[in-house]
Amino acid sequence: MRAELQQAPTAARRKSITASPAFVYVLVSPLFLILLAYVVYPLFETFVASIKIDEEITWKNYIRFFSLEHTANLEALWNSIYISVLSVITCGIVGVTMAFLLERYEFPGRKILSVLALVPMALPPLIGVLSFTFLYGESGIVPRAIKELFGLAQVPFSLKGMWGVVVVHTFTMYTYFFMTATAAIKGLDPSLEEAAASLGANRFTVWRRIILPMLTPAMVASSLLVFMISMASYTAPLIFGIDRTMTMQIYLSRTNGDLDMAATQSTILSIVSVAFLLIMRWYQGARNYQNLSKGVSVHRTEIKSKAGRYTTIVLSFIGTIILMLPILVLVLISFSVDGTWTVQILPPEYTLSHYMDLFTDSKTWRPILNSLQLSAIAVVGIVIFGVAAAYAMVRLKFRGKTLLDVLIMLPWALPGTVVAINLIAAFSEPNAFSFGQVLIGTFWIIPLAYFVRHLPLVFRSTNATLMQMDPSVEEAARNLGASWWYSFRRVVFPMAWGGILAGTLLAFVQCIGEFVASILIFTSKTTPLSVAVFQRMYSNEFGTACAYGVLQIVVIIIVLFISRKLTGDKAGTAV
Amino acid sequence: MKKTTSKLKTWMKGVFVSSLALTVAACGTGGQEAKPADNSAGGQSGTAAQPADSSGDPQRLVIYTGRDKNIFEIVLPKFKEKYPNIEVETLEMGAQQILERVRAEKANPQADFWWGGTQSALATAANEDLLEPYKPTFADKVPDLYKDSQDRWYGEMLLPEVIMYNSQVMKPEEAPQDWDELIDPKFKDKIVIRNVLPSGTMRTIYSAMIFRQGADTPEKGFEWLTKLDANTKEYTQDPTNLYLKLDRQEGVISLWNLQDVLIQSKKNNHPYDFIYPKSGAPILVDGVALVKGAKNLDGAKKFMEFLMSPEIAAQLAKERFQFPSRTDISKDQLPDFMKNLELKPMEIDWAVMAAKEKEWMQHWDENIKGKGKK
Repeated sequence: MRAELQQAPTAARRKSITASPAFVYVLVSPLFLILLAYVVYPLFETFVASIKIDEEITWKNYIRFFSLEHTANLEALWNSIYISVLSVITCGIVGVTMAFLLERYEFPGRKILSVLALVPMALPPLIGVLSFTFLYGESGIVPRAIKELFGLAQVPFSLKGMWGVVVVHTFTMYTYFFMTATAAIKGLDPSLEEAAASLGANRFTVWRRIILPMLTPAMVASSLLVFMISMASYTAPLIFGIDRTMTMQIYLSRTNGDLDMAATQSTILSIVSVAFLLIMRWYQGARNYQNLSKGVSVHRTEIKSKAGRYTTIVLSFIGTIILMLPILVLVLISFSVDGTWTVQILPPEYTLSHYMDLFTDSKTWRPILNSLQLSAIAVVGIVIFGVAAAYAMVRLKFRGKTLLDVLIMLPWALPGTVVAINLIAAFSEPNAFSFGQVLIGTFWIIPLAYFVRHLPLVFRSTNATLMQMDPSVEEAARNLGASWWYSFRRVVFPMAWGGILAGTLLAFVQCIGEFVASILIFTSKTTPLSVAVFQRMYSNEFGTACAYGVLQIVVIIIVLFISRKLTGDKAGTAV
Repeated sequence: MKKTTSKLKTWMKGVFVSSLALTVAACGTGGQEAKPADNSAGGQSGTAAQPADSSGDPQRLVIYTGRDKNIFEIVLPKFKEKYPNIEVETLEMGAQQILERVRAEKANPQADFWWGGTQSALATAANEDLLEPYKPTFADKVPDLYKDSQDRWYGEMLLPEVIMYNSQVMKPEEAPQDWDELIDPKFKDKIVIRNVLPSGTMRTIYSAMIFRQGADTPEKGFEWLTKLDANTKEYTQDPTNLYLKLDRQEGVISLWNLQDVLIQSKKNNHPYDFIYPKSGAPILVDGVALVKGAKNLDGAKKFMEFLMSPEIAAQLAKERFQFPSRTDISKDQLPDFMKNLELKPMEIDWAVMAAKEKEWMQHWDENIKGKGKK
């Protein structure tokens, strides 16, 4: 998922595409058309709602937003940005460290650990966040255990407030850094380091001048993804009671019936995210590092020294366990009797009944099938569109690349609720974009929402692999007489396959877990898994909800596992 | 030149193939989607247009509900028995999500019936012209206080708001006996509150606290709420979390509706009990409404009549501790605890409170929440 956004070497390309430079716009117009329909149009409606009050155009909502009299909104804006920046930093540290430990060094158990490190991706957002409070909250396992262990009067610490949100973000979003960093490390040419070393550079210099700069594009891409989902993050601030974030303000405004203010807040949230995207693009353009070497060699260092070997094993093991803990806690709760876990460190009574309830209820399986089906359809669309868009970005030369990038990334920066409400508003009446159909209340609105929301994943990852690929390979094929389609099919696609697949997997997993938008657009026939889990919680079947959540994790792990088998270890690590 | 044109051709081909694939996929979606929607819409409008008769085509009735499964499992099978040709679909959501959905779907409503909405959510929806007026046969059995003056929504049940406490930790006499005791410093950090703004229950309680000290002098109420905030350890984001924190003794007192306290303690094993405040409790109405533009208005009306019939109301009272809003249900049919409990309402002018609620809650949110301790 590397977003190398520099212009591709195009001097030679242009000639080969078409004589008229304008022709390319014909080629990319379908892409823009689709984005116009499903991103711009709904967003535009939101913007209109924010400035049109009682049929009059006014900026009074924006003035209210930035007014210094009631600082709630400004505070929210500040908090959102603050949390997002912190999340990027912490996710970066955790993700890159894990990637180095697991990718750079060979030691027993490395393979298993590198699969397990991906599992937090599977954590369902809703109960996932809850499991953190069970772990580190005031009455959580860890603080209580420490209190008991050392005979303290009070729990020594508890996860709450802003830091709670950042910790949860770190645990759930480090995978974006982990995956990109892993790929980047794989792509590092060891000969560069060797060359530097033989020229007399010490270890530190090699790191500072060779390794880190080479990781820049990957870091920028994942920073972008993490920043945007943090901005759009909703469940974590909700659980930790941080009302002053943009997403919560939007929610509260809507609750209060302040629809135009909610629209204003959504618009401002989009603007901030676009600004961040542009800054990142600029930064990356300013620091252009490209790996020009062709073949990439395997260069995992076998750790020779005994002490180093054990340290690495232990560190990676501990790291992975810590990252897995929230999932283990969910499993634990799914076996404990509801309401019995009060002041103890661990649940005192265990039962199989939550699973019995699930497995004897005929309605359990339908949402699982629904989710698989809805996600599969969405992902097919995402792959077709994402690959096409990435190909256009990298290989074609046209104006409006930044626009294309912004449009694709935008829905990521918005809270799911807003995306869903935009879609409902846009498609509750027949229009050209929905082919004259009403989409709400139908099956198709859900895949559409998933499509719009998770498109960036495939787009970014494909973009990155295409950037890495030397265009001369494709040219060679074409010069040897292969048609465009043939060379795309036989050369470009197979070479980009790793990146495409990794993005696809991420997108698929995210679709299965998607809740916030789903709850506003599901129908009784298309209840997705995440909504079903929520409904169990809503009926106060907490244990069963957790058991259901565990089932959701199992489904996702099976998907990860199968795709790994199918692709022979390429997926996930090749992003 | 020739080469370029051939390249151009292949390029075009490629792009055409991909855009075609997209269009086909999209068309496929459009086309397939159209069928079920059209069919069901056609079927519904067909049956809805006909006078109600149970022998007609199967009808589809879509209900958005904030009630949970335990309640539909009582009501729906019986409804099915009475109207076998009505296929009921329930979509469970929070009250706020129902409002969001109904609002967003205004141009093409998907729901027929809204089962379980707070007074303020229903009133908001009514003001936004989202609800269909209907005067049910039992209209005069529901006091004016518990229904919309233009018949756009009707109260189904009453939710007295009470003081709730963890009975493992606290004896009834130790718990606060009335609202004003809550702000006694001895309860500092013992209170956990479900996050106020998104919860109809909490908004009502908080607004009532302001109202009872004079709607014209909200400063007094704000001051009181500041003291309550000082005693409040935490605001939890949803009821599930509130129960967890009470169970796990992170807090021992809360403010909550009587029905849930009873369900949680009597059905779900939670160690809760309640104090009915001496000076009276705000009584919230939880209601039902027909969605404007519903495709199956007729079915929705039938469901409303059925749901609020004395038999079902009495059964829900017994099994789910629901206080019916109808006044004509005989005491023998109600469970014992309801007979013994006198629901003393707090004197509230609901219209005034509804008008002020948004402003007050905004003020609370911006100026009071989390600041009491400072």
